Amino acid sequence: MKLEMLAVFAGSSLRLAMPLLLSATGELVSERAGVLNMSVEGMMLTGAFAGAMGSLATGSPVLGLLIGIIAVMPVAALQAFLSNTLRANQIVTGIGINIFVLGATTTAYRAVLGSRSRTEIPGLGKWSPPFLGDIPYFGDAVFHQTWMLYAGLVIVALTAWVMRYTALGLAVHAAGAEPRAVDKSGLSVMRIRYGAVFFAGFMSALAGCFLSIGDIHTFTEGMTNGAGYLALAGVIFGNWKVGRTVMACLFFGAATALQFQLPAMGVDVPNAVLIMLPYLMALLAVGGLVGRQSAPPYLTHAFVR
Amino acid sequence: MQLAEHPLEAGAAAVMEPPPLLSLRGMGKRFGSLQALDGVSVEIASGEIHCLLGENGAGKSTLCNLVFGVYQPDAGVMQFGGREYRPSGPADALTQGIAMVHQHFSLVPDLSVVDNLLLGQARGILKRGECAQRVRTLSENYGLALDPFARIRDLSVGERQRVEIVKCLMREPRLLVLDEPTAVLLPIEIEGLLQVCQRVAAQGCGVVLVTHKLAEIKKIAHRVTVLRGGRVVATSNDPANEIDLLVRAMIQRDLEGLDASASAMFGAPATDAPEQDREIGHRIEDEALQVNGLTVRDAEGVARLDNFTLIVNRGEIVGIAGVEGNGQSELAAVLAGMLPATDGRFFVAGKNMTGKSPQEVTAAGVGVVPEDRHAVACITGMSLAENLFLNRLDRFKRWGLLDRKALRESARALMQEFDVRAAGPDLSFGSLSGGNQQKAVLGRELTTEGLVLLLAAQPTRGLDVGAVEAVYGQIRKACERGVGVLLISSELDELISVADRIVVLYRGRIMGHCVAHASERERIGAMMAGHVE
Repeated sequence: MKLEMLAVFAGSSLRLAMPLLLSATGELVSERAGVLNMSVEGMMLTGAFAGAMGSLATGSPVLGLLIGIIAVMPVAALQAFLSNTLRANQIVTGIGINIFVLGATTTAYRAVLGSRSRTEIPGLGKWSPPFLGDIPYFGDAVFHQTWMLYAGLVIVALTAWVMRYTALGLAVHAAGAEPRAVDKSGLSVMRIRYGAVFFAGFMSALAGCFLSIGDIHTFTEGMTNGAGYLALAGVIFGNWKVGRTVMACLFFGAATALQFQLPAMGVDVPNAVLIMLPYLMALLAVGGLVGRQSAPPYLTHAFVR
Repeated sequence: MQLAEHPLEAGAAAVMEPPPLLSLRGMGKRFGSLQALDGVSVEIASGEIHCLLGENGAGKSTLCNLVFGVYQPDAGVMQFGGREYRPSGPADALTQGIAMVHQHFSLVPDLSVVDNLLLGQARGILKRGECAQRVRTLSENYGLALDPFARIRDLSVGERQRVEIVKCLMREPRLLVLDEPTAVLLPIEIEGLLQVCQRVAAQGCGVVLVTHKLAEIKKIAHRVTVLRGGRVVATSNDPANEIDLLVRAMIQRDLEGLDASASAMFGAPATDAPEQDREIGHRIEDEALQVNGLTVRDAEGVARLDNFTLIVNRGEIVGIAGVEGNGQSELAAVLAGMLPATDGRFFVAGKNMTGKSPQEVTAAGVGVVPEDRHAVACITGMSLAENLFLNRLDRFKRWGLLDRKALRESARALMQEFDVRAAGPDLSFGSLSGGNQQKAVLGRELTTEGLVLLLAAQPTRGLDVGAVEAVYGQIRKACERGVGVLLISSELDELISVADRIVVLYRGRIMGHCVAHASERERIGAMMAGHVE
């Protein structure tokens, strides 16, 4: 009985951590390159909405996912243009985009489906990896997830590898650490930073689609509900390193899962505290209470030659 | 040597037998209202070491940056290797075979040497091991010792420069541009750098070397082009024997008219500097500053300043020598009240000022010329007049409001006294040249009420000869008035000619005391490099 509960907890932690994991990985790349992409929240919401609508319209969740990704690209282009080319304040523009997207998706959703609709949307299929899926107790609870979760894990691992072992990763790192050095070694800081923001957009789109067509198979107004900001906190918590950011996101995921697990286990904690938990953790992280922070030195600094 | 009547002719006159590697004709570049370059023509041949000489703001760095593609020219034609050359960015310059060592390092501090070398040169998966091997080979060939896997932030300034040079050499350039590469190096490191330049040139690479230091020109330059106010004012094919003429062209004044300090720096090596017959601890016996066992530890517990003890008498100039980053910044910050000391005390005119705020330190009669002028000494967005009286604007209060007229008049007087050249006191401080900014800061600090001690950290950094002369003239004047001066500088020649005695700092410790005399130059140089007597 206890073991079963633990398995459910682990499974739902992983599932709830996944959108954070994806968007935080994208955000990490963007911040490493020197662009604080505050619009993760808006990008995720755009992805979630477009993914759901695409899936609904075409009847194919895979096509929906593709539409979700494509829909986020204009948002990423806008963020990249504002923060790199126009050198606007990255925090202000990011929050502006978030507010705009919240309004736009809500309006569009009501226009398309009507405010009362809770239509079931075709979602992505589930898959159990061989052997792992056969483990007693854990097999079904932990490893019977949408295939997008496994794909996401592979992408995160691949990103970590690229950042560590390739010239591209080196250039991204240097663009946020010392952009003048990048420029003088003949690379384009602009291109690296545009690329990094587009990658953040791609990952946020995946995260958004995971929410709407991967996890619960529906779209609700403002369904990201601050997950984008949690991803930002995850990057800070993870001290701008992929491994630690993954740990931070899993931790946030577990904190969220605890909301549902503690009452089921009969532990009496006020519900408000439980809901607060992941955000409280994020606040502590951002407050710098968890060790020394080492942000990329040129984070939020637009590059001028 | 030709003194140019018209800029274009100067370039045309220097006809070379083989076609030049790089030829610049009538280059012009304007930044806002400043004409940084105006009709500059220069030719550089393969295998030639060509020095660019000029005061600050003469346009040397701008010229280099045009060649490297950092800026695009407004006028003029460049040819490289006989073909038209129009770079739109550093990438173009690099593909053509032009490499540059920049005045300010362009390294990523939290990456390793190898990663910095691979940045922009590698594609796909990084082959760190292979690169490290190449570094070792190059290191051996050129005598540039480097640990390929060390992190840049852990390297000394000299080692970082070596990384910059290796980075250039790895590209096997046809033209190597070095923009004031020796400004931050130890004497022995300068020697090594010049040798590398010679070896590179011997292999047929063209070398452009920007420098302030005439000793270096004398040693290695094949040809020299002198810039002043963005124009070519002289060229020389035999620089070693025409140094005096070059200097005259550079500053449009005779060397004799210059302060001894400037001539020591620019002309003859320091050993020819005039004898100094001032003695230690002369005149007034009163102490301006007494420092007792001052220690500063950083966040990691490393001692940046270790048990520093020193007395500065009134009317005495004590120089702190040392390569930058050996505790000078910490010493200056503690004495200015900007950094708490971990241990130890210091007294100004007998009063314990340890741990006091900058305001209290100023009130005790300490004038501070900080190392980082822009961050600490001035507010560039405010006017010159406001900056001149930044710490005592109270004085111009009338009915609780600022009396701008009185402020302006006082500012004019101060500008006159300290030769701050600006169109008017209302000009934005940021629009002044570095030299005038520093003269203004110095003027403000030297007129501090009840001045006992002047703390000057790197006061001549980035200044041209004229400004250096003015700064030291004022410091000496203050000294004659009975002010004690603690002068921190990484320019050894300046210290030798200005200070009464010199204390050498190395890794936060005092390595030794010397009389400021040219004959001590080598001993001080050795101590700066950490050699114990």
